[in-house]
Amino acid sequence: MKFDIDETLSQMLEAMKGVAKENWKTIRGNANGFLQQRKGRLELLTSLRMANEIEEQFFVKRLKDEKKMLESELHSIAIVSKSIAQKAANAAIEVLQQAVSKMITL
Amino acid sequence: MLRHLLLSTLLIFSLSSCKVIWVPDYNAKLEDQIAKTAKANDKLYIDMLDAAPNKRDYDQYKEKYNDIEADINAIQLANEARNNNASFLVINKNLKEAFQEAKKYHKEKQVLSDGEIKSYQASLAGFWKPLFLAERGLKINSK
Repeated sequence: MKFDIDETLSQMLEAMKGVAKENWKTIRGNANGFLQQRKGRLELLTSLRMANEIEEQFFVKRLKDEKKMLESELHSIAIVSKSIAQKAANAAIEVLQQAVSKMITL
Repeated sequence: MLRHLLLSTLLIFSLSSCKVIWVPDYNAKLEDQIAKTAKANDKLYIDMLDAAPNKRDYDQYKEKYNDIEADINAIQLANEARNNNASFLVINKNLKEAFQEAKKYHKEKQVLSDGEIKSYQASLAGFWKPLFLAERGLKINSK
């Protein structure tokens, strides 16, 4: 079974960008970490298969795991993005609250 | 004047109680539990790879497998008890299923080859990382 590691990684990167949206710059470190780990893992699995250290069926199962892993990674990125957005929103609300308090005490 | 003061007080009160909550609260204990269980899972395969092939039968590792599975269940329970937990539950479910599949494969095959051990070690690490980074990502709101 042949597949292009770089093409797969590039498609996964696009999927992550789509989830992170405007928080992409902040979570880029996490996303790159996932991709580097994936690259190492895919290279390992491919080399093990080529050396006949794992059977074809086992190899295909591990590739199927990658789909589930991507799902987990996208959820992880969504959590971090929401966490950043929550902090920003609450900071904005606090500024508004302080401005209103100031105005009232004048 | 009194009406204006009352309205202002109400406005301040409503703004002070108006905080958005989209993610669960950060849980340092849970982050530690995730890190420790991920390490135990990694060590399971390191020890297995280090053992001679005739000492890799499932029964030798059964207890370690069960300890790790119980810890995964405890992490899942903690996540189920939180609010805004939908994404955490998906990550947890994927991890649990991957671990159970690896355990079942070893149980059925009895002995794993070097290649199979290395593959499972790498794949399961890939399932742990999103859970760990997600929990750590909540820290930003605890400051």
